[in-house]
Amino acid sequence: MAIAKELAGAAGNNTVVGPSILISGKLTGDEDLTVRGRVEGELTLSKTLIVETTGVVKANVAVKNAIVSGVVVGNINATESVELTREGRMVGDIHAPRVIIVDGASFRGRVDMGEVEPGRVPVSRPVVARPTVRPGATVPARPVAPPARPPAGRPAPPPPPARPAAKPVPPPPPPAAAGAAAGAASRGEPAAPVPPVVGAGAKKKVVVKKKAR
Amino acid sequence: MANTVIGSSIVIDGEISGDEDLVIQGTVKGRISLKESLYVEGSGVVEADIETQNVEIAGRVTGNIVASDKVELKQDCRVVGDIKAPRILIADGASFKGNVDMDQKER
Repeated sequence: MAIAKELAGAAGNNTVVGPSILISGKLTGDEDLTVRGRVEGELTLSKTLIVETTGVVKANVAVKNAIVSGVVVGNINATESVELTREGRMVGDIHAPRVIIVDGASFRGRVDMGEVEPGRVPVSRPVVARPTVRPGATVPARPVAPPARPPAGRPAPPPPPARPAAKPVPPPPPPAAAGAAAGAASRGEPAAPVPPVVGAGAKKKVVVKKKAR
Repeated sequence: MANTVIGSSIVIDGEISGDEDLVIQGTVKGRISLKESLYVEGSGVVEADIETQNVEIAGRVTGNIVASDKVELKQDCRVVGDIKAPRILIADGASFKGNVDMDQKER
């Protein structure tokens, strides 16, 4: 909904197809298009298509964003997002990385958000991956570590000096911080409770390090 | 009044019909039939046969124009095609090539 508003707000002075207008054929453009009438055929835009409640689009649509409050019959291929609002009715396939279907919308067809969503992976993965992959994962633990560093007198980032700091902290709240702390602690001494996922990675690291030294 | 606007970056290849005013700032090829007024603005390019009540052209039009009321060619417009309407106005500076037919019986 918030998306619909912000995009609709940006669409102020652009192309509008009024309620009594019928366009049949091919329509292309590089600006936002608001449809209150009918568009049939083919519709290609590099910006946002807004089909208002009175709008009817019977076309194959290729756009960046689509907000459907009216009727769409045909396939929508969006590079960014497709939103079916409460009044939206659609028959056809949607291909877009973000698809929003609001309660009240009517839709029949297939949805394809792609194999790997580029928007979400970088957000969710590092949290899981950092403790296992990187020994230098002290980054998330840093807010805890600094108090212990001045006595150590070493600005070196590797885990050994941070060990005493990481240990006395009893409740490390987020799993990422816990993993990092546990990983750092387990390197020197066998740390007590290690989360299962991180534990596997951390153990491997421990073994490797011991052998190396 | 003019709720339909075809923006400057829009290209339509096909047919536009309707009962309301239409403003064209972009490109339309094919056919336009309206019951109201058509405004082709300075940036507008129309390669189409036009059938409306009123037409005001400040841009470029290639095609035949039939209007039930009035056709107005503004300064700096470029029109190629035949015009048929009871009232036809051609402003100083307009460029036009084609036939003009103001015969009221025939329309």
